[in-house]
Amino acid sequence: MTAPRLAVLIAALCFSVPLAYKVQATGAAPQTAGAVGQPSPSTAPPPRAVFDKYCITCHNQRLKTAGLTLDTTDLAHVGDSPDVWEKVVRKLRTGAMPPPGRPRPDKALSTGTVSWLEGELDRAALEHPNPGRPTLQRLNRAEYHNAIRDLLALDIDAASMLPGDSAAYGFDNNGDALTLSSALMERYLGAAAKISQLALGEVRGSPATDTFFVPTDRNQGIRFSDDMPWGSRGGLSTSYYFPVDGEYEFQLRLKEGGADGGFFGVTEEPQQLDLSLDRAKVWSSTVGGPAIAKVRGDQRDQKVLEALHFRLPIKAGSHLLQAYFVQRTTAFVEDLFDPYLRRDPYRDGNGEPAISSLTIAAPSARGQLNAAAALGTPPGAGGAGDDATATANDSPTLRRLLVCRPASHEAEAPCARKIIETLARHAYRRPVTDADLQVPLAEYRDGASRGGFESGLEMAVRSVLVSPNFLFRFESQPAAAAPNSPFRISDLDLASRLSFFLWSSIPDDQLLDLAARKTLHEPAVLREQVQRMIADSRSDALVSNFAGQWLQIRNVSGFRPSPEVLFHFDDNLREAFQRESELFFESIIRENRSVLDLLDADYTFLNERLARHYGIPGVYGERFRRVSLPADSIRRGLLGQGSILTDTSRPNRTSPVLRGKWILENIFGAPPPPPPANVPELKEERDPAKVLPMRAQMAQHRANPVCAGCHAQMDQLGFALENFDAIGEWRDKYSSGSPVDAAAELPDGTRFDGPTGLRNVLLSHSDDFLTTITEKMLTYALGRGLEATDAPAVRQIKRAAAGTNYRFASLIQGIVTSTPFQMRMAEDAN
Amino acid sequence: MVITKIALPRRTFIRGMGATLALPFLDAMVPALSAVPKGAPRFAAIYVGNGANPYAWIPTSVGVGFELSPTLKSLEPFRDRTLVISGLDNFQATDQGDTGGQHPRAAPAFMSCTHPKQTEGADVRAGTTIDQMIAQHICRDTKLTSLEVSVDRNDAVGACDHGYACAYLNSMSWKTPTLPLPAETSPRFVFERMFGIGATAEERAARSHEDHSILDGVTQEVSKLRARLGSRDRLKLGEYLDAVRDVEQRIAKSESSNSDFAVPEQPVGVPETFREYAEIMFDLQALAFQADVTRVSSFMMARENINRSYNEIGLPEAHHAMSHHSNNPEKMKSYAKLNAYHVETFAYFVKKLQAIPDGDGTLLDHSVLLYGSGMSDGNVHNNYDVPVVVVGGRDQQIKGNRHLRYPKGTPLANLMLTLLDKFDVPLKSFGDSTGELDLLAGV
Repeated sequence: MTAPRLAVLIAALCFSVPLAYKVQATGAAPQTAGAVGQPSPSTAPPPRAVFDKYCITCHNQRLKTAGLTLDTTDLAHVGDSPDVWEKVVRKLRTGAMPPPGRPRPDKALSTGTVSWLEGELDRAALEHPNPGRPTLQRLNRAEYHNAIRDLLALDIDAASMLPGDSAAYGFDNNGDALTLSSALMERYLGAAAKISQLALGEVRGSPATDTFFVPTDRNQGIRFSDDMPWGSRGGLSTSYYFPVDGEYEFQLRLKEGGADGGFFGVTEEPQQLDLSLDRAKVWSSTVGGPAIAKVRGDQRDQKVLEALHFRLPIKAGSHLLQAYFVQRTTAFVEDLFDPYLRRDPYRDGNGEPAISSLTIAAPSARGQLNAAAALGTPPGAGGAGDDATATANDSPTLRRLLVCRPASHEAEAPCARKIIETLARHAYRRPVTDADLQVPLAEYRDGASRGGFESGLEMAVRSVLVSPNFLFRFESQPAAAAPNSPFRISDLDLASRLSFFLWSSIPDDQLLDLAARKTLHEPAVLREQVQRMIADSRSDALVSNFAGQWLQIRNVSGFRPSPEVLFHFDDNLREAFQRESELFFESIIRENRSVLDLLDADYTFLNERLARHYGIPGVYGERFRRVSLPADSIRRGLLGQGSILTDTSRPNRTSPVLRGKWILENIFGAPPPPPPANVPELKEERDPAKVLPMRAQMAQHRANPVCAGCHAQMDQLGFALENFDAIGEWRDKYSSGSPVDAAAELPDGTRFDGPTGLRNVLLSHSDDFLTTITEKMLTYALGRGLEATDAPAVRQIKRAAAGTNYRFASLIQGIVTSTPFQMRMAEDAN
Repeated sequence: MVITKIALPRRTFIRGMGATLALPFLDAMVPALSAVPKGAPRFAAIYVGNGANPYAWIPTSVGVGFELSPTLKSLEPFRDRTLVISGLDNFQATDQGDTGGQHPRAAPAFMSCTHPKQTEGADVRAGTTIDQMIAQHICRDTKLTSLEVSVDRNDAVGACDHGYACAYLNSMSWKTPTLPLPAETSPRFVFERMFGIGATAEERAARSHEDHSILDGVTQEVSKLRARLGSRDRLKLGEYLDAVRDVEQRIAKSESSNSDFAVPEQPVGVPETFREYAEIMFDLQALAFQADVTRVSSFMMARENINRSYNEIGLPEAHHAMSHHSNNPEKMKSYAKLNAYHVETFAYFVKKLQAIPDGDGTLLDHSVLLYGSGMSDGNVHNNYDVPVVVVGGRDQQIKGNRHLRYPKGTPLANLMLTLLDKFDVPLKSFGDSTGELDLLAGV
């Protein structure tokens, strides 16, 4: 095979997997009531001649190129082979077929053919809907966290209780990937035990401790966030749930690495260190000073630790804790003029001490007693009224959980039942039956017999939180449903699909009530509920979980650029990257903007640190605010943001390949296949004098026809971003001194230059982008990979959103009313 | 460049309340070992992705008293216990017609010698790995059947090859062909799995009792649910029930075993440097062996395709990128340096096991440690002649101080089959094995 022919073949291969549609045998399913959507008109006759002329030279019985035979396929029954025809649609839409060098139909003919095919496929899908069937989903860590928040008004640190979840098809809510090992089961048991203790304010046994660490590369020379008090520097801020009124024990630790290996920055100069609770200073101490500076080694560290060890009486509930040093105005004078330049995070600050961790220990029983006196809490305070057995503690959690409080011993069992029933209804996301209550009630009796009412409740909560009814999202199937036929899911299952999609959490009372009344599926009701849910702050979950994974914002916390070459990077910048992208995506949701704004919005969100990083003047302070970007701004849209530019770089250099791949995957929806075996990656030269210009390096790469098929496109997209270094800072020259060349040319001859040029290219492919975001969102909404049979739904969602110019809410409305979201394929007969 | 280094976190980084003294972590206690059967066999597998530079890895001489290669130098103190094996092919990790996927296939194929299926869907499938088969045999009485740990976060997004579920990259241990075991990355979680939760024996016992009762309830609920579920959901629920039973067994075993030991201060955080993180994980595995919590562990020390950079040893390039060295001498040197650093970190574990008395000797005497990668030279991205070292195994009649070079085309499965045999799991064949490596004990 000659090289050019091979290249064509590879190009074809490269485009052969743009969407991982799996082949699925789907028999013609009987039509069911309530199919969603409208068919596209399909009047034109089958364009047999087009296929005969342009396709079957390769795709015929004899050659079977790419396993595809179009010469014998029946164009009268396109709908019978969606897996084949959706691929053809994709190829024609992206212009990947016919391959370069072959005769091609003109644009109108090609478009007409695709439209006809889509019409046929859509019509068939409407007649025989195939909504697919998600695998039984386990709650992932984010959903578990939110469910606990909504069940118990408890903001747990889920990452300290449960491991992360593996993803498939780009999202970690994929039912197939959410396996359950015994190690995870142990975590669920542990989490349930801890949460139930927190909820009931039961502190038993040895005090449990929690420790919060400050990232070692956080610049603690400055006030690191707008959340911190004015005049503070460094430290940490955390919201912490105090389970019970009591005297809590605290231990602050300082960063180590001083000359003698001990705590850093303990000198004759005293440094004030404060702790505040809900923004009021509650404790203060001094680190350093003439006396302690004289002590050496371990003894000094010991003394420092003792000074940072203290107890505080605290009322139960969630409180904001902040620990920080007080900024000294006697700091180096140049700081005052240009703190940004002066405070290079990779220099040892000004020799000032920094905080490394904060540990909190729950009080012992005695601590609770002392605190009761200190806090002046009368027994039974906090809305418990005249209930004799009410605890001295009160908290939002107890108020949420204890829907009744027994006034007598006799009242305990019925009250417990009421509490457990209410909890289980929310946790299991449906009305509960007596059978559902058997196990938790038995646990209640067991616990109550040993430690009374609250111990009983604690055991019951624990049992609910490890119940399969809570941990798994079961969907019911009508007894009458014929195997492998589609049916509309119940209103209760719809409520859960909605809440897990939009909130990553359990449905609230309103949803459950509507579902129980079986009215949730009614179009007007559904529409209103979705509007309400998007407006609710719980839809922030779409930012952290959907955008966090699609746009890979979640990776920001793991960024570790090499400090040797990218010494402007530190934790402060890391946080700013994340904040910018989150606020940006959130603005699309909250303001119901067109999702096309993701590519080209005329604004972003910056604080001083990030603005300086981006070279944008006039932004001062740590607070993030909306900043307008002019039409030619290099920072417009996602591809101007540090989070994405860094995510697609190596720790020490940029990679046009990774950036191009990111664009293909997330904008064009055409992920390139992994490189074949035995092909070396880009050659690397460490000696700056010998470094070939980036272009020359990449040209070597594309000289290989095996690589060229994908790289000809991928690399060019990445080239346009070369002015952004590996942490997204603008550069005109490489460290070698050679100028950056950001001109690029796609295989189809499109030429563009730099980020603004790239942006125009992306906007000219906005239809691809709209397909991509719809597919990604539908994948996320369903918790399964998409099949060829889902393509009609994707088109329908897009069509429906076109009227609003693809505003965010219209895409969401389209998804929740789509066939795969509203329906489900009945199980096979066993 | 005017950069002074950031203060590196010390081991105290993982401490919360309490001790300031820089006691070696977890060494502060020694469990009462009376309950531990003398000299029980142990098995640990350590996997490092992205292959190794073969020119610096493969010793130039073969046989007894061979000269250790530059990469393996740090195993010199344990030369007598070290068996370097070259020439083995991780053939089941090759593409065999699949698209890409060299990385995701490498680790699951390593100890299963089964070709992992290309999929992101419900049909994820590789093979049962030898650590799990050994565990089924030698861990019947221990609290945990096995321990799987890693120092790489498993929830980074966009890191998994297109067309392959992330489980392939994350899991080197497969309990069954369809159940990849996720590796635990939190030292504290590992610790709690090993010792239970609670500071005293009474607290732990109370906790066990309660958990037992809770799990009983779960079992009842599952049986109620099963009746009304479809077949696929039932399968998934079966997985859940298996996990519940495993935990029940663990609880039953810990209730019956001698719980009279002082539990060490538990680690609370995660060290930021690779070395400290890996050492903590090794400490925990050594402790698990010492306290006989389990006898089998697997440690994903560097996941395939990982892009960690190692600034602490002057290697700012990402691991995976470094492995694609393009035969650039400078880059190959860096790659070899990193390989050596990993081996050195592994040597820490060997040393640790050698220092812990166990039965008639030390833990090392009773342990077989398998160290290797499912890929050979990262640059060519293939799975032929993969780097493998076996350390320890005195009791299993594995003789060290040797470099064995097998002829081209010898399947890695032959080594796995031999190791299974060493642990009295006799099989006629395993994966694509063609026979045992009869030379393993010989010379």
